[in-house]
Amino acid sequence: MMESTPGPGMRSYVAVWLGLLLIVGAEVALTYARLPTGTLLAALLALALVEAGLGLMYFMHLRYERRTLFWSLIPALIFVFIMMNQFWSDAHRLRSLHQ
Amino acid sequence: MSESEMSVALGYGGIVEDSPFGIESKKLVMWLFIVADAATFGALLFGYGYLRVGSPNWVRPFAFVPTILNGMVMTVVLLTSSLTMLAAVRAAQAGGGRRRESVRWLVVTAVLGIVFAALHLREWFNLFAEGWSPSTNPMGGSVLFGGTFFGITGLHLLHVLCGVVAMTVVALAFRRGRLDASHVETTGLYWHFVDLVWMFVFPLVYLMNAR
Repeated sequence: MMESTPGPGMRSYVAVWLGLLLIVGAEVALTYARLPTGTLLAALLALALVEAGLGLMYFMHLRYERRTLFWSLIPALIFVFIMMNQFWSDAHRLRSLHQ
Repeated sequence: MSESEMSVALGYGGIVEDSPFGIESKKLVMWLFIVADAATFGALLFGYGYLRVGSPNWVRPFAFVPTILNGMVMTVVLLTSSLTMLAAVRAAQAGGGRRRESVRWLVVTAVLGIVFAALHLREWFNLFAEGWSPSTNPMGGSVLFGGTFFGITGLHLLHVLCGVVAMTVVALAFRRGRLDASHVETTGLYWHFVDLVWMFVFPLVYLMNAR
């Protein structure tokens, strides 16, 4: 039987929206904080993942769906992203060829 | 009434089973599309990162004014459009007299999507005027900057425009009673995904290329 999955109210959505705006502000502030490139990248990626998590769980309602949906979709996607990241050493090799 | 009960009532027997995910088929298909499209954007962003790491002459051309500031405004517009889409979905699901309210929120969301696209295109044309293109770099560095920047932002812009069209079609059909709240919800899923992709594009493509 199709389940209706009551989600949060508009107040919660507005709270998440404000949180996302704050994270965007933090990202811009970090960009101009003269951080080393690697540190800035890690910080921006971490904040982007938090934003994505909030968007997925609340705006896209995944938190209120059956767990089977979450476990069927998300781990496979994370696996794909991890596998893409096996090629960074080749990018560094490419850089050394150009220098 | 579940799909299984409906199939029995219509005389097909129990040939249609309930979804193990507890959602309608169109919603599941939209989720599957989102996962596939997320992998596509992930591959594009990874490709951009790979080429950037592999290029010793990568430039960082974006000044705070106008590019980063414009990007911030675009991000606020897109995030707000996700909020208005949520309002549209909630009004649609409430049903009854809130159908018109839902259509109004869908229109507002579509307008915000058009505003985002207009800001984006204005930025593109400013870059073209400065000599940037998918294959040229007026700062003398790697031309791969243009290829990756216009490729990634162009694909995202295409998704935004397709979302605006789909949203408009759904709003018109929902107003006439031809579609129901689940169609609005499914369209909302797509729109939130477009917003979610921008949450990665803005920091990785804009902020990481800030001067």
